[in-house]
Amino acid sequence: MNVPYLLLVAGGGLLGLLAGFYLALPLRKVPIRYNVRSVMVRWLTALVTAVAVTLVIAIVVFMTAFVKGMDQMTENTGHPGNVLLLSDGATDETFSRVSAGFSFSQFSSPIQNKIVKTDEGQFLASKEVYVIVTHVVPNSSPVKRRFVQMRGIDQPRLAAKLHGIELATGDWFSSTGVPEVVLGDGVAKTFGQDLGKPSIQIGDVIEIGPIKQWKVAGIMKPSGSTFGSEIWVHDGIVQERFGRVNAYSAFVVRTANAADAKEVAKLITEEKSADRAFQAYTERDYYANLSATNDQFRIAIVFVAVVMSIGGVLGVTITMFAAVSQRVKDIGVLRLLGYSRWQILCCLLVESVVIALIGGLIGCAIGACFNGYTMNSIVSSGQGGGKSIALKLVIDGWLILGGLSAAILMGGVGGLIPAVHAMRLKPLESLR
Amino acid sequence: MDRFLEDLLNPVNLVAALIAGAVALAGAVYLVMRPKFFRLMLKNLRRNFVRTLLIAIATVVLVAMVTLIWTVLYFLDQVTTERAKDFKLIVTERWQIPSQMPPTHANYLDPDNGSFLADLHGRYTSNDFMTWSFYGGTIEKGSYTRESIVFFFAMRPEHIRSMMDEGESISADLVEKMKNNRRGVLLGRDRMRQVNRKVGERFNVFGLNYKGIDLEYEIVGQLPEGRYDLSGIMNADYFNESLDQYKQQKKMPHPLDQKRLNLVWLRVKDRASFNEIGNIIEKASVFSQVPVKVETASSGIGNFLEAYKDLLWIMKTLLVPTILAIMVLVVANAISISVRERRAEIAVMKVLGFRPGQILNLVLGESLLVGGLSGLIAAGAIMGMINSIGGLKFPIAFFPAFLIPEWALAWGPAMGCATAFLGSFVPAWQARSVRVSEVFAKVA
Repeated sequence: MNVPYLLLVAGGGLLGLLAGFYLALPLRKVPIRYNVRSVMVRWLTALVTAVAVTLVIAIVVFMTAFVKGMDQMTENTGHPGNVLLLSDGATDETFSRVSAGFSFSQFSSPIQNKIVKTDEGQFLASKEVYVIVTHVVPNSSPVKRRFVQMRGIDQPRLAAKLHGIELATGDWFSSTGVPEVVLGDGVAKTFGQDLGKPSIQIGDVIEIGPIKQWKVAGIMKPSGSTFGSEIWVHDGIVQERFGRVNAYSAFVVRTANAADAKEVAKLITEEKSADRAFQAYTERDYYANLSATNDQFRIAIVFVAVVMSIGGVLGVTITMFAAVSQRVKDIGVLRLLGYSRWQILCCLLVESVVIALIGGLIGCAIGACFNGYTMNSIVSSGQGGGKSIALKLVIDGWLILGGLSAAILMGGVGGLIPAVHAMRLKPLESLR
Repeated sequence: MDRFLEDLLNPVNLVAALIAGAVALAGAVYLVMRPKFFRLMLKNLRRNFVRTLLIAIATVVLVAMVTLIWTVLYFLDQVTTERAKDFKLIVTERWQIPSQMPPTHANYLDPDNGSFLADLHGRYTSNDFMTWSFYGGTIEKGSYTRESIVFFFAMRPEHIRSMMDEGESISADLVEKMKNNRRGVLLGRDRMRQVNRKVGERFNVFGLNYKGIDLEYEIVGQLPEGRYDLSGIMNADYFNESLDQYKQQKKMPHPLDQKRLNLVWLRVKDRASFNEIGNIIEKASVFSQVPVKVETASSGIGNFLEAYKDLLWIMKTLLVPTILAIMVLVVANAISISVRERRAEIAVMKVLGFRPGQILNLVLGESLLVGGLSGLIAAGAIMGMINSIGGLKFPIAFFPAFLIPEWALAWGPAMGCATAFLGSFVPAWQARSVRVSEVFAKVA
């Protein structure tokens, strides 16, 4: 469900309808000047209403940007041609355990033929051991802990190529078993903030888990993927220090394209034998499955937005009812001058929509200030596991249009009942 | 009573109770001492019924929303706040999650076991000890959907009621049934619904995290609604036997045989005991191979909530104040319109002898009456609705649902009154300051 799109259709439709009525009616229109003067007279109530709408729209834009950031992260993670192999039945890397002794050449020929090879004739594939490490936040009192994601890699350059990761600074860790780490951009920032600086630097020494002195060898370029929240290290260290000897969490293989990836995932899952059984997913599907949390937040945000909008709508209704009650005589005069009921309706609806639209514009502008702002969250499939991520709020044109449309809808819905009430006033009775 | 006092000392509850109590008391005093004045307020509210209704609807909707949000925040605050006594102490693997420890770790901490650490003798009893293991599987081989996957906490039945959070709400009969039937399990309402099973039914589960450990269960009862709706509890003895049988049959231990213990919980009487016991356990040489950490339940849960920190910040610092601000604006707008419309009437009242303070009280009273009553209705209605469906289903960490606490009945009126007061004070002051001569000059 694309909520901003639905709002856009509804709000745009309402605006179009109003404009259509206003322009198409055969009689003269109530001059816009009349509305402007009327709003000027009641500027305080109009302002308060606009502020209420501003608050609603700003908060809705901000929260939607948060979920869009999560969506973008899960969508951007994973290459379309990659296939992720977990142990049979596993749905998450955290709980998967595959034998380190497995060789990709053990696959049947149809599978092997679909796996892309490097120039050196090596399979473009990676063996990875993934653990969630308890990290003691430096200088915290009382002691604070957070969970960080560590990925042990057998061949870092090959794995980087496979996952589309590039280094912003530094180099990949050596395979000598010396404790060196490459940090995702998000986690580098978080660790840096712990030490009172914007980001960790190459050469810094940090403590993660049981190892007191990890040397930072490299920092990844921002990739907009969940890998930006990970710590990559040599696989041997993870296996030895985290009880994963002779085991990996997952294997990743590259196929030529998304169709091949789908086919290979199916073949691998079906090709079970006594010594090996995998649950294979295309990498895109695997990360798309991690969007259960995004969906949960999206539903919550829609619910909150609707409820807050009710508050905004009622604010507009109260203002417009007051406007109508103070202008009963004006409306009687307008009717006697020949303005139709529909024109009175349009006149008042335009007024309420414009008040709400001004609020919406300011709300969107406030919301837009947070574009690119970094926040932390979690993505998961909803069946255990999950990944902590550092995401960037995403505010695009569609979201702004959606916000403005929501404001128009609030103005339209809020102003409708008072406008209908005004439309039904009898001219002579109004003037008494 | 202790619990009530402890909750009352929560700053939000205390402020809410004070506001709601003060307004209710003032209202009662007015009703008794000045019944005519009170009737005048009601008449005024009835006179512009649509506006009163609109304010009430806005207050009900927005208070209900804040109540829902605050329920989540309040619960998380409660579980991450350390208690002054009855500490729960959690022993887990030191460096990674999920924590996976050898089963012997439990023996060193179990007062009934021969391997119980000598340094811990007399510091807690077997009633203050429990172990947790997590077993997950699918009821249909090869199917890994929400409708087929079940998770169980494997624990000794005798520890359920004494040690689990809200464990006393699980009936002793159900625990007895689990003791008598090793394959007996308790399932949460939602989980039972998801896997389409009923109490009394038997079913097989094919292990997912413990590959090759397939178990047969009989549902002996349903867990109380709320916190454990998606959970399941199985007998730890059955779980351990199954791993032992695997070893006998395959002539080799299961790959997770020495990682089968996930948590140990201990209850200690106070912070000092926690520090002493934690120190002994963390330094014990028996745990050097697989080091452990000791933390309070609140701190352990706090670590899991770290990933949600920003989301909770949005809820607490952005969402709740914004909704309350919208309520204030709606009330301010409506009351200021009402005061403007009644300037002549207020002038007449002054001529008739009403003092400025009484005019101020009249306008504030009208607003507080609508706000307070609407807040109470909102809180009561949302509490009834949400709690009747087993709580607010907004899974965060390992909490699948949140029941609205009774304290919401204080939050609602307090929010309604506070926003009504803030929104109507300036208009009420303007009403108080109406100059009779100015109003009549304009009328003339």
